[in-house]
Amino acid sequence: MSELLEVKNLSVSFFCAGGEVQAVRDVSFSLARGEVLAIVGESGCGKSVLCKSIMKLLPGTAKIKSGSIAAGGADITHYTEREMCKLRGKLFSMVFQDPMTSLNPTISVGAQIAEAVRVHQPEITGERLQERVAELMKLVGIDCPGERMKHYPCQFSGGMRQRAVIAVALAGNPAILFADEPTTALDVTIQAQILDLLRDIQQKLGTATVFVTHDLGVVARVADRVAVMYAGKIVEIGTAAEIFYEPRHPYTWGLMRALPAFSKGRDSLYTIPGMPPTLINPPPGDAFAYRNENALAIDYEKEPPMFRVTDTHYAATWLLDERAPRIAAPVGRCGEHTDGGKSRRRWEDTKNTRMEETASNEILLDVRHLSHVFPLNRKTAVKAVEDVSFQIFRGEIFGLVGESGSGKSTVARCVMNLYRPCEGSIRYKGINTCDAKSFRKNRRMLQSTRQMIFQDSDSSLNQRMRVCDIIAEPMKIQHMTPPRASFREEARFQMHYVGLDARYLDKYPSELSGGQRQRVAIARALAMEPELLVADEPIASLDVSIQAQIVNLFRHLQQEHGFSFLFIAHDLAMVEFLCDRVGVMCRGRLVEVAPTQELFSNPRHAYTKALLSAIPIPDPRREQARRATEFCAERDALDGELTEIGAGHFVLKNGEQ
Amino acid sequence: MKKRNRFVYYGKKILTFVVSVFILSAVVFYVSRLAPGDPLVSYYGDRVEKMTPGEREWAKERLGLNDSVTVQYVRWLDHAFRGDFGISWKYKTDVVDVIGGRIGNTLLLGGLGFVFIFVFSLLLGVWCAWHEEGPADRMICNVGTLTSCIPEFWLSLVLILVFSVTLHWLPSSGAYSVGKERDFADRVMHLILPVGIVVLNHLWYYAYMVRNKILEEVRADYVLLARAKGLTKRAVMFRHCLRNVMPSYLSLMAISVPHILGGTYIVETVFSYPGIGTLAYESARYKDYNLLMLLCILSGILVILCNLTAQIINERIDPRIREQEVSERLEVTEP
Repeated sequence: MSELLEVKNLSVSFFCAGGEVQAVRDVSFSLARGEVLAIVGESGCGKSVLCKSIMKLLPGTAKIKSGSIAAGGADITHYTEREMCKLRGKLFSMVFQDPMTSLNPTISVGAQIAEAVRVHQPEITGERLQERVAELMKLVGIDCPGERMKHYPCQFSGGMRQRAVIAVALAGNPAILFADEPTTALDVTIQAQILDLLRDIQQKLGTATVFVTHDLGVVARVADRVAVMYAGKIVEIGTAAEIFYEPRHPYTWGLMRALPAFSKGRDSLYTIPGMPPTLINPPPGDAFAYRNENALAIDYEKEPPMFRVTDTHYAATWLLDERAPRIAAPVGRCGEHTDGGKSRRRWEDTKNTRMEETASNEILLDVRHLSHVFPLNRKTAVKAVEDVSFQIFRGEIFGLVGESGSGKSTVARCVMNLYRPCEGSIRYKGINTCDAKSFRKNRRMLQSTRQMIFQDSDSSLNQRMRVCDIIAEPMKIQHMTPPRASFREEARFQMHYVGLDARYLDKYPSELSGGQRQRVAIARALAMEPELLVADEPIASLDVSIQAQIVNLFRHLQQEHGFSFLFIAHDLAMVEFLCDRVGVMCRGRLVEVAPTQELFSNPRHAYTKALLSAIPIPDPRREQARRATEFCAERDALDGELTEIGAGHFVLKNGEQ
Repeated sequence: MKKRNRFVYYGKKILTFVVSVFILSAVVFYVSRLAPGDPLVSYYGDRVEKMTPGEREWAKERLGLNDSVTVQYVRWLDHAFRGDFGISWKYKTDVVDVIGGRIGNTLLLGGLGFVFIFVFSLLLGVWCAWHEEGPADRMICNVGTLTSCIPEFWLSLVLILVFSVTLHWLPSSGAYSVGKERDFADRVMHLILPVGIVVLNHLWYYAYMVRNKILEEVRADYVLLARAKGLTKRAVMFRHCLRNVMPSYLSLMAISVPHILGGTYIVETVFSYPGIGTLAYESARYKDYNLLMLLCILSGILVILCNLTAQIINERIDPRIREQEVSERLEVTEP
């Protein structure tokens, strides 16, 4: 018995009102002691279900239909709940996606860790229990455990909570740790810290880890082996190097190509066409055939078996059959584009000419010394934004990046007159929008030419209105006569424009998917024919391939119609692809502003450097050798004036390195 | 800093309380005089019908009913501040004594009802949540909805019909049989039906709330983590879910006190149970103003106190809300 975990032909289905959802279909894999296996795929591919079904944490509607699970030398397929309780925490344990909700808010963190310790070692009590908890907290990098263990989860930041969750998971010394998107909900710098932590622990304790994620950069950082899942099946499995450098399955190619890093120098991001199939009636044959440009006739009829590429590398695609035509992988070596060679220079050239074409020298929005303070109660206040100045030129995409809580959204809302800034001025086309009088005078123009798109399309659309009413509403409010016959015609036109089918006109938002809803929100903004679009994290809540589609749409809007954007995001890869100029915010201060390539190739502020170094690169060889630099947040580094150090490159003086 | 904050916190609560009671007294005073009816009936009984207009005028003058309502109210306030709430016109004694003689019975009935509802709704809620969507859960939910829809007086009449008239198991009215005031068993027999009806009418609603709250908690992510660390279903339910439900349950129960009391008023009337419910009914009906005022104010104080308790429970028990105050305080010290 060499393998720690062996899953054979596992199928899991949910039985719900709509029918049988085959979430996991015929999956086999194994995990050796001390190994890190990453499972990647788009959302809805059954990654989480697979992990939870191994731990039997699925709700009652789910059932293991066939196959077997062997863990720690025993067949646990038919274990009862009572037997599973003895294994959970001891043999395997789990870390979940959202640290904000996965700790019980009313029990102190120390008590929750202690509880996990005592489940399997009830003999540990009193002093020794405290010591063990402190030891665990130190292991996961929580300082002053003696103090911190008395605190409640609400007193911990997101990253600290995830550390606490990891401490809970490690309390019973499990041999296997399932990590279900453990860093997806975290900021990029925190993500880097947590990934480093997980890697350290894995090396120190030898815990085998199953890492579920959709981010190939994260995979490159942590994984020894990678399994690619699609429509409930593992379509390719191999060592990290094999998957990243010699992918064989078209879906893996698609995932690789969809990375923004791969599209540098192109006009649009590559997207895998279509959507993953619903798993109620999965299509016959290869489920990916419908989205695969290289699909063979047999793909639609017969399911491909797992072809052996090497002893460790298997892929389920007919392309590997000896009778299949040879198709060269459309993916080059990963990381090729960052070698500073020709491709990069060519890309910069095109980007520069593009900038000249689209962006003019006319300043559309001029923000000067903006400060905003939120009063908490009568005596205290939070400085959300402090002395922020930047300009947006007509036809330009200006990116604003920074961690959560850095004041990006507050800036956006001040720009949109949703908040009245406490200090500073905002001039839009030379009109001071902060001044009540001049705002009133130009209200109609200001309101119709500036539009906003929000992060959460779920709550920014009224659930009780039909799509066509949602899109036409701003026009009705402004008493505009629709340029195309009727409001309905206008809505139809805008929907067509953002790539939505006209049959959704009479649907309600809840009937649409997240990506479609965000398109409706964009169509609503476009209906007013705005000149400035303020997009507050418009892609953060979307799936990767849909993110790419929305970003492509933005790029198209800018190039073809000269819209100007204030694009707020924390995903630096997308920002690098989309934006012309980027401003970096940290704790309410704008620390660095520069043209995109300049910022990414020559960051000057300590915080920008830390932020850039934290982005995971989808290249295992480089990624695994690298560690993120941390930004020690001394207050000094955030003081001082923005000074110009190069063409259009401004940086806060004190923080420059 | 900490002490001062707490002082301000409770100071505000007490001020709200006093103002509410004051407003309540004014509203009750005016509204009770708006209602039609002859207040002299409560003082003179049937004799009113034989009174001459002159006698009526004299009686009204004597009871102070000829002054404007505002003058009457100010006079009442003046007396009340000195601790004199006047005499009951019907019983011709101090209203405090009248109420004092009866309030014990109501507290016994309402208190017992409350305790039973408190315990059983928690147990039932947990049981239903445990067997979610099972036959037992569904039956309890359905029966619960049904009994909540039945008005208390009708249920009382049906139960009296069944257990007192037909089966002769339980007495149909009163708090004790004549001459058996000290007999404990007799008292219990008299309490079974009224308490049962109060409990039956309120239990389901609260049990249902507990069930749904627990199910909400069960679906939370932290339950998944708790199970992943190896806790059994029972440990998760009692140590995590129930614990998190408790603050909202306690505040819910605090608000329920006035509802339950309202229920006992009706039940008391049906069972002719000598509590303040019947007293309130009579005083409102026969315009026994002084008695009515004190009863309303007592009930009002109870309602306000319960709401305040609920509020304080909500604000104090949850560490998330407590933390908010701590962090605010910390930031004050920062420049």
